[in-house]
Amino acid sequence: MSVVGITKVAKRYGRVTALEDVSMTIADGEFFGLLGPSGGGKTTLLRSIAGFIDPDDGEISIDGKPVKNIPINKRDIGMMFQNYALFPHMTVTDNIGFGLSVRHRPKAEIEARVTELLRLVRLEGFGERKPRQLSGGQQQRIALARALATNPRVLLLDEPLGALDKKLREEMQFELKQIQRNVGITTVFVTHDQEEALTLSDRIAIMSEGKVLQIGAPRDIYERPRTRFAAGFLGTANFFEGTVSGREGGLTRILLAGGTAIFTRDEAPEGRSVTIAVRPEKFTVGGATPAPASDAQVNRIAGRIAGEVFAGNSVTYRIDAAGRIVTVYMQNRMTERLGPDAPVTLTWDPAHSIVLED
Amino acid sequence: MTALVSASTRRLRAILGLTGGTYLVLLITILLPLAAMLYFSFLTVTPIGGRTASFTLKHYTDIFTKPLYRVNGQRSLMLGFQVTLICFALGYPAALFLARHIKNRWREALLLLIVLPFWSNGLVRTFSWTMVLTDSGLVGQALQAVWPGAPSIDLMFSYPAIVIGLVHAYLPYMILTCYVSLQAIDDSLAEAARSLGASSFTIFRRITLPLSLPGVVAGTVLIFVPVLGSFMEPRILGGQQAIMLGTLIENQFTASFNWPLGAALGFTMLAVVILIMGICYPVLKKHLSAN
Amino acid sequence: MASTSGRTGGIFAIGYVGVILLFLYVPILVMMLMAFNASPLYQLPFDFDLVWFKALAGNDQLLTAARNSVLIAIANTVIATTLGTLTALAFARYHFFGKSLLQILLIPPITIPWLITGTAMLIFFFWTGIGRGLHAILLGHVALSLPYVVIIVGSRLKSYGVALEEAAATLGANGWQTFWRVSAPLMAPGIVAAALFAFAISFDQFVISYFLAPVGVSTLPVEIYSAIRKGFTPEINAISTIIILASMAMMLAFARFSKFGGER
Repeated sequence: MSVVGITKVAKRYGRVTALEDVSMTIADGEFFGLLGPSGGGKTTLLRSIAGFIDPDDGEISIDGKPVKNIPINKRDIGMMFQNYALFPHMTVTDNIGFGLSVRHRPKAEIEARVTELLRLVRLEGFGERKPRQLSGGQQQRIALARALATNPRVLLLDEPLGALDKKLREEMQFELKQIQRNVGITTVFVTHDQEEALTLSDRIAIMSEGKVLQIGAPRDIYERPRTRFAAGFLGTANFFEGTVSGREGGLTRILLAGGTAIFTRDEAPEGRSVTIAVRPEKFTVGGATPAPASDAQVNRIAGRIAGEVFAGNSVTYRIDAAGRIVTVYMQNRMTERLGPDAPVTLTWDPAHSIVLED
Repeated sequence: MTALVSASTRRLRAILGLTGGTYLVLLITILLPLAAMLYFSFLTVTPIGGRTASFTLKHYTDIFTKPLYRVNGQRSLMLGFQVTLICFALGYPAALFLARHIKNRWREALLLLIVLPFWSNGLVRTFSWTMVLTDSGLVGQALQAVWPGAPSIDLMFSYPAIVIGLVHAYLPYMILTCYVSLQAIDDSLAEAARSLGASSFTIFRRITLPLSLPGVVAGTVLIFVPVLGSFMEPRILGGQQAIMLGTLIENQFTASFNWPLGAALGFTMLAVVILIMGICYPVLKKHLSAN
Repeated sequence: MASTSGRTGGIFAIGYVGVILLFLYVPILVMMLMAFNASPLYQLPFDFDLVWFKALAGNDQLLTAARNSVLIAIANTVIATTLGTLTALAFARYHFFGKSLLQILLIPPITIPWLITGTAMLIFFFWTGIGRGLHAILLGHVALSLPYVVIIVGSRLKSYGVALEEAAATLGANGWQTFWRVSAPLMAPGIVAAALFAFAISFDQFVISYFLAPVGVSTLPVEIYSAIRKGFTPEINAISTIIILASMAMMLAFARFSKFGGER
């Protein structure tokens, strides 16, 4: 189908920079997520691809052809708007058929296509209703059907599930992904919800303050975040600041401020100050007197329980260790409860100590 | 590159095309006439029909020194204050009741009934009072029948008649603007205050009244300004003796043909209007943005 | 307990608003009633007669004035609604330098006393040779109606925002198709409401017409005013009754349309 190319795109509003040197390539048939906080530039980028915004610099192309001079209505895109923007004065059928109708397609063809799409989004028999007679989830599916009706080259979704409540959102995530797979359309979507980004996307671009911080598959970004922001925005992370103090047995040693040393598999030049990120679920919590260090290649620091939040299947501990509060997620399968102030030992694999770039 | 240029030119052309007609009309009906009026107010005579006029400040110095204008100016301001105050005294409770105590269907119907006469012909409504403010009329006779010895309501061609006519004309403004402000106040504020131990009166004084102030100010401006410029109501209900700033200005244009004096009087009134609007603008802006 | 006090409060409230309504409506009702009374001096007892309505049919001056009023109101409605709708569209769809200045310029026609705008127009029109007459009156009415049209249509446009038009564009509709198939049907209730409003403003407008009407040419309100000042007859009541009922009917239609707009 189609490839979307974005090369060094920039957009400024007065002194505010909305997009700065943004480049990425979205592959054919890919489900691509733009994730970031509001004001991060992700919506500006999506609207630039659609044609509502004319970038000051750089180039956006679809299938290798620049789209700068192609007006919105000739770009051959499908877009789903945040609040769906269904035409309130038209029936569901007329909404879905709108794109074909303005292209002057024969009536029979439009009818057939609308029927096909209603089946795709599992809303057969709703054709004669007005949008306001539909629930939020139904409106969302009609909006999707309408955006797909003309077989556009690219599908753009602006916070596609943002207006739905939590339970419905989870259902629709699955369904949206299913439909996108079946149709095979190149899709770019904007979200500020990390879970939505993780579950839907083939790849994610994390954006903040108009810049792209990292692009990659959800798992890659989660396991190997490059910046503090990426680590903190996609999931939760504990940060340890320290100085590189040499290499031992294939590991890099980092000396923390309090004198504790931790290890990472990543390499870094000696003497540099670095930040290490460790995900909360990578820790193991043990008793105060750990088994003798049979394996030197494990990080081990002593701490004390400072607080716990019980969530049924899991427990979140706040542990006072190495002069900071460390957040730890544990599956709820311990036989004994760790009380307040209980001395503990935190261990984790050096492979899970990620050296960040900033 | 050419597409970019033509896109912005196209945009400019669209904006001009869409707004051009409106602002051409406003230019020749409001802006240029006001400029012409300002110019005329400095002329000795009306420069029409071959007369030559020269520049003078006489009309303005007259307005601020001659007792005739000062007295009538004060009368007009006084009339404005009185009518506005009465409208507030009558209208605010009505607005409060509509916003607080009267429920959906009734409220809608009553609001519509209040607005309805408001948008009908003002001249005709003023005229209708001439049927009421006499003892021999239907209302006078009915009053005498149910209450023998009732005071006379024969107020035609008097100052109170002007006040009644103007209150009748502008009361709906006050009710509407106050209502809009009052119904925008969240009920939970009063509940919160009550939970903190405030009495009903305290709630009204410390919460309801201050929060509805923008509506009161909007109503005040919307009433005071046109009352200041009224001339038809004083003429019909006040008769010949009712001289106001408005009737004075009208006279210069319809009877004495002293347009420069009329223009100077009009501009002085406009200055007062602008002053009032300027003072109230911050509050008015709040009222508008609240809707 | 709360419900009883709420209930008596409600009854008192309705009673108070009732008195206000009485004050607003009694004069109008008395005036209407007197139009059906035979006595030329408004004397009682009441004697039902349609004589004053019949007299209207023979009053050429009033009939001519009425025709002028209707013609001006229709022309005003067409011009003001068209220009105002276009301007509202520009305000809703474009951000441009000077936009707020243009919006502020809409305020003077509705806030400056008509006495001042009317006399200012008289001076300017006379001076520049535009002159007085029906065309001048029409111009004045358009100026007064325009701000209301822009506000009414504008609030309608605001209520559904730009997203629907953007959606139409992404679906391939060109500007023309977007306007006719999306914008126009959605704006329609607002435009109808604005048109009714513009008609009512013009039909009821007295002050501006008064200053811009040359001798021998008049609109209905101007004619009525001079009749009142000359010493009035129940004939004025008859024509006033017709005017009041007509403008109230129009405002009811307006209320219906603007609410119709709010519901969708």
